Amino acid sequence: MRERRQGDATRPARGVLHLALLVARREYRRTVSRRGFVAGTALVPLGAIALLVLTNLILPGNSAGNGTAYSGSPVYLVNESTLALPSTPPPGMPVVVVSRAEATALLRQKQAPEVYLLTSDWLRTGRIERLVLTASGTDLSSLDRRDAQQTMLAQYLRSALLHGSGLPPDVQARIVQPSTLTDLPIDGTAGSAPSSDNLSAATFLIPYAFSLLFILSIFITSGYLLQSVSEEKENRVVEIVLSSVPPLPLMAGKILGLGGAGLTQVAIWLVTALVALPIAGTRLPELGHFQLGPIVLALALVYFVLGYICYGAIFAAIGALAPATREAQQYSGFMGIFGAVPLIFTGAFLADPHSPLVTALTLIPLTAPGSALQVVALEAEIPWTLIGSSLLLLGAFAVVATVASARIFRATLLLYGVRPSLRQVAAAVLARG
Amino acid sequence: MPAASPEPPTTEPDVELGSNATIRVAGVWKRFGSLDVVADLSFEIRPGELLGFLGPNGAGKTTTIRMILDLIRPDRGQITVFGGVPGVAHQARIGYLPEERGLYRDAPIVDTLSYFGALKGLSTHEAHRRAMRLLDEVGLAPVARKKAAELSRGMQQKVQVVAAILHEPDLLIVDEPFQGLDPVNAEMLRAIVVAQRDRGAAVVMSTHRMEEAEALCDRILLIDHGRRLLYGTLSSVKAQFSDGAVEVHGQRIPSDPTGLASVASLRRVDDSIRFMLRPGATAAALFRELAATDAAIDRFEVAQPSLEEIFVRVVEADRERQGTNA
Repeated sequence: MRERRQGDATRPARGVLHLALLVARREYRRTVSRRGFVAGTALVPLGAIALLVLTNLILPGNSAGNGTAYSGSPVYLVNESTLALPSTPPPGMPVVVVSRAEATALLRQKQAPEVYLLTSDWLRTGRIERLVLTASGTDLSSLDRRDAQQTMLAQYLRSALLHGSGLPPDVQARIVQPSTLTDLPIDGTAGSAPSSDNLSAATFLIPYAFSLLFILSIFITSGYLLQSVSEEKENRVVEIVLSSVPPLPLMAGKILGLGGAGLTQVAIWLVTALVALPIAGTRLPELGHFQLGPIVLALALVYFVLGYICYGAIFAAIGALAPATREAQQYSGFMGIFGAVPLIFTGAFLADPHSPLVTALTLIPLTAPGSALQVVALEAEIPWTLIGSSLLLLGAFAVVATVASARIFRATLLLYGVRPSLRQVAAAVLARG
Repeated sequence: MPAASPEPPTTEPDVELGSNATIRVAGVWKRFGSLDVVADLSFEIRPGELLGFLGPNGAGKTTTIRMILDLIRPDRGQITVFGGVPGVAHQARIGYLPEERGLYRDAPIVDTLSYFGALKGLSTHEAHRRAMRLLDEVGLAPVARKKAAELSRGMQQKVQVVAAILHEPDLLIVDEPFQGLDPVNAEMLRAIVVAQRDRGAAVVMSTHRMEEAEALCDRILLIDHGRRLLYGTLSSVKAQFSDGAVEVHGQRIPSDPTGLASVASLRRVDDSIRFMLRPGATAAALFRELAATDAAIDRFEVAQPSLEEIFVRVVEADRERQGTNA
């Protein structure tokens, strides 16, 4: 009988934490080097660049919104009405009065895309004609320009009508432009912001897009976990791995490594958003005013981690249960419905962030991540009671989901090509130790 | 609670508590649903020993191996590995080649091996160095950076064998290692398994291939329905089943037992004749009786049944007994 001393004193110590970190490192490296990950991560910065290019194409210059000064090119006006126009236009209203012949020349030489004509019956009918070169359709950029021109022209005509009325200048000014809305914070925060009325697009789009990306990143990251577990099962590697690493550190390592990959992706997206929003703000002022404060970012991070653990644990269990990767992906797709619910009900969030539906969606763990971020983005002040309760429930669910998933993971991972019964799954979840 | 089952006869006593065993399995039970997959199983294996773990499909071999590896837990009984409870503390000293085996398909094989080596406690550098050396030994060094998906099935099996021995385990468990291997690779695997045993590792080899078990194993353990049917050294098992048969090859060998006092019966086996001796008769007595005839003897040997014959006889007898009991 051949014998040797059992044990090897030179073999390095090997704890479960060390094993979990080894698994995490491998999963992280493997995931971030995947073409799918690189492409998915680059999609958002590329989309942001495309958006900036598009806004440059559509919006060649700043347009006048409600209550803001006109800063576009001069507006040409032919006056055939009886209204006496001022010889010099009021400040901020670059109107050039021309004759009909000059207007025709301007249009033919393409020095002006349109010239406005005050008809002879204007005072009676208010009819203004817009002279253009041909009757062909208009491009998208002209819509915004003409909208701004009409706003300015209306102010110009009001100013002309009031000229010589004897009304005090300040009254005349208020008739020309009755309001310029600004928000005045009463909590002492510095400066004033444009009216929330002017932020309608940002109010809707930014939290929606932010929540969408956020939920997307949770699902993409959880999807990596599902893929990793089901691939190891399908490739039959799992038995070799489990003979070296117990199930819990194996799962912890996977959650850690793939969560790190997900966080990397989210970080790249956030940096993109932080860089792109101010740039986009020069074209779309409403976007420039949207800011991701440190508290919102911190909350986003906490919700991402907890949301990922919840969905990741569920997806890992699905990966362990499903006989094949494709089947696992089908089951996980069903779980995506939960994540999408807050986006489906975005209207309810916009209408009333205090409604019972919004509160319920913010408290239910599987819908909490997407809901809470919308609430935080829409509310002037963070509703800490709701958010705290939501985080508490989400955290508790994350613990339960992880423990249950680890038990399912251990009980079913080695059942190749077999779909365990619900009874087996329930027994695994309720098993002790 | 598992039902008590009668213990079939074996060739060796139960495990000796306190011995220097690498693995000791004592009275272990495992039930899935209403089926006892492993029933009151006991055995042990010592350092430098190669145990053939035999049994028909579904006998409970893989379940037993998974319990030794702590992938599943026994319902009753005790398993000790390196003198302790199976678990993470000893996993680094075990090499495992499972029956259901695979590799990461989209990763270079040397990276996969380095990862497995690191999980077994080697430094990344050392794991990589050993992986390259062993890949070279099995002729796979040129494809070390290739992905597993790009390799042939035979190459992948070699990589899996390398993964099992990379960290020089004190206990090597190979489950159906010859399955799907061509003769050249089977020979290579035989050499690797013997080398591991010769350097002092305890080796458990689960296999259906009796000729491999017969050629390689020091001891065998045969189970069916989770119960131990045979357990002992190869020679003791064979001696137990020799049945006093003598095989004779030559010219004019009598084909009728009349006149041969020591012979109970005979039958032709290929170009030889197998004589079954009467109780108390010896091979020497038969030789003298044959010498007294005009037979020209080329070969005279005490016949021992092959391991495959023993396997079939024992399993069939057990199934008959099970059927009778049922």
